[in-house]
Amino acid sequence: MSSKNRTGNSVFIISLILTVTFIIWGVFFTDNLARVTNTIYNGSIDYLGWVYLGATLFFVIFSIYLLFSKYGDIRLGKKTDKPSFKTASWLAMLFGAGMGIGIVYWSVAEPVTHYTTPPYGEGYSQEAANTAMKYTFFHWGLDPWAIYTVIGLALAFFQYNKKLPAAISSAFHPILGDRIYGPIGKTIDVLSVFATVFGIATSLGLGAMQVTAGMHDIFGVPNELFVQLIVIAVATVLFIISINTGLEKGIQYLSNTAMILSFTIMLLILIVGPTTTIMKVLFNTTGLYISDFVHMSLRLKPYGEGEWIASWTLFYWAWWIAWAPFVGMFIARVSKGRTVREFVIGVLIVPTLGTCFWMSIFGGSALDIVQNTGNNELATFITENVSLSIFTFFDYLPLSSLLSILGFAVVSIYYITVADTATFVLGMLSEGGTLNPSNKIKMTWGVIQSAVAAVLLLAGGLNVLQTASIAAALPFAVIMLVMCYSLLKGLKSEVELQRGHKRSTQHSGKTN
Amino acid sequence: MKLFQVRKGHFVYYNNELHRVYGVKPMYKKSVHLIRLRDLTQVLTNATGVERYKPKELDSFIYNNKAYTLSKDRKAEEGDHILIHHPMPDSLDTYSLNEIEVVETVEKQGVTTTNSHGVKHNEYLLMVPGRVNGSSPIDYQNFEGIPAENLDDIGPHHFTNPNSEQLPTLGDIYIQKDSNESFETMVIAIKGQTVYLGGGLEVSQEELMKTDKWEFLYNLLDK
Repeated sequence: MSSKNRTGNSVFIISLILTVTFIIWGVFFTDNLARVTNTIYNGSIDYLGWVYLGATLFFVIFSIYLLFSKYGDIRLGKKTDKPSFKTASWLAMLFGAGMGIGIVYWSVAEPVTHYTTPPYGEGYSQEAANTAMKYTFFHWGLDPWAIYTVIGLALAFFQYNKKLPAAISSAFHPILGDRIYGPIGKTIDVLSVFATVFGIATSLGLGAMQVTAGMHDIFGVPNELFVQLIVIAVATVLFIISINTGLEKGIQYLSNTAMILSFTIMLLILIVGPTTTIMKVLFNTTGLYISDFVHMSLRLKPYGEGEWIASWTLFYWAWWIAWAPFVGMFIARVSKGRTVREFVIGVLIVPTLGTCFWMSIFGGSALDIVQNTGNNELATFITENVSLSIFTFFDYLPLSSLLSILGFAVVSIYYITVADTATFVLGMLSEGGTLNPSNKIKMTWGVIQSAVAAVLLLAGGLNVLQTASIAAALPFAVIMLVMCYSLLKGLKSEVELQRGHKRSTQHSGKTN
Repeated sequence: MKLFQVRKGHFVYYNNELHRVYGVKPMYKKSVHLIRLRDLTQVLTNATGVERYKPKELDSFIYNNKAYTLSKDRKAEEGDHILIHHPMPDSLDTYSLNEIEVVETVEKQGVTTTNSHGVKHNEYLLMVPGRVNGSSPIDYQNFEGIPAENLDDIGPHHFTNPNSEQLPTLGDIYIQKDSNESFETMVIAIKGQTVYLGGGLEVSQEELMKTDKWEFLYNLLDK
């Protein structure tokens, strides 16, 4: 491996300047920022919609192709490598990393919002409830996981099999050769850092809103902007302490705890909630999802207003793409020693089933409460107070205070673990793919990501968060498309390599 | 009563020999799972059977049949073994206490191991091959009655496990490195220490293990 990529910090400096410029813009020209993001938002509906839809559908097809292709037997790492984690904990980690805060935030809010304002048809009807669940499956199902599959696989493959640095630019080695260390490679890395900062900031923004809502529900703290900003500030101080004192091990324990707590909540709701309805929803919606997948994937409104599609489908696709370098890095890290086929099953298929199950439990029971009581006011209340939605929902279930406290613990822990891991990933990405980013750079990113989240909340909350992701993710979507081609080229050369000259195991056989 | 809590990664003495705890499984009767450092043999026991030892600078011990001394004199270089005695893993790292790894690349902040772990320079002790002057052997808790040659390197012919992954087995394909012509051959028979290769070659196991002369490509039986 060459070390020339390690010299110079141009990626760090350029991406830092870009994000700091953005923060200054947001703090001093808040109205201007809101106006510009709004223009981009409207533009995205008219001009960018098809790019996102086309790209994401392509990732799904590409991942499924990989599953059945001759590349399935390629092992990520040396031929003798064994997976570092047991399959069950591997799957749990993937699920937690990919969805984390988002799934808690949206699992009640999204189905209920779709129920009140469906993409088509009459709101507040039985039909609307089915459509709502179908679209929730769609937004959280195969598509996000296909995005993670592509990027995670590319990162893992080039890092472990081709021995390249853990940077996004490494995935372009088959096309660019050593130019990945030059200006083109650096540009790719800058764009990936920029997209990642916004992906993370969006999640942190949502997380801060969620934590504040939780405190509001349990302790009666006001559910206001300034509390959200305090949450961000406190969290920033906490993870900066953790970076400096080597408490990272503690963060790993925390993230395991969050995972166990989330599964506990899920099972509790399955038991105390409307169990039979949940199962019916799961089966019915899975059918609808599979049969309408193509239509939903390509749905645009050429002769009308595409507001709904922009604020939901496009936002999600953009958010997943912006969030992808972060999740991809994590997935690559825990998947060493798996084969390509195992990887695709583990990252695309199983988590999709898991999310559908989760959504059926949360969304299905929430819709059941709203539908059966005919309580349209409740539905409207949830739609208008999205960040409170999960706690509002808990209030209608038995054991509500226990559920609320568990839910609050989960979102708080997710928040801190995501923020902490994000500093590490940003450090790696911006220092040329080193596995040892310096603490100074990690702390810088820690402060920056919090600042971006705060600025976005200041500039107008959820809408601005959504718009900013859509804009920041676009270049990266294009990068990911090229990455597919590059990955294919790399896999092809690996098949030839493994057929002719199998990797030597002699040097490393005993050291693991 | 012993109140010492065994954790994964601890160096411990068991039956007077140095072991590393690779796992603590509370559900088992023999809950402490050890690996003997001198020859990497697995041993299962329980917490009362072990005595903890904290490795420090200038301690020397045999790991996988070779003697090493722990040192802080220089930073690790490519190919060095390191003992991670003070682990501070980043959120995506998976190594634990006293893991022994091989350095793949060296950077300013730390090293990357062949196991794709980023380890900072203050987290590890370098394992220098051989027993450095002034080092103290820690292979045994009590050295009484231990023959002195037990502290020497053990050559590959003393491998306790004849099926060890590194030794030649039937069906291994090797390529000769120090020859002008390209020569690939397969292990067709093993008799004692002698390995019979296709093409009428007879070499010793040791000869075949020399990486500058022969390179292992793959085994015929591997998929």
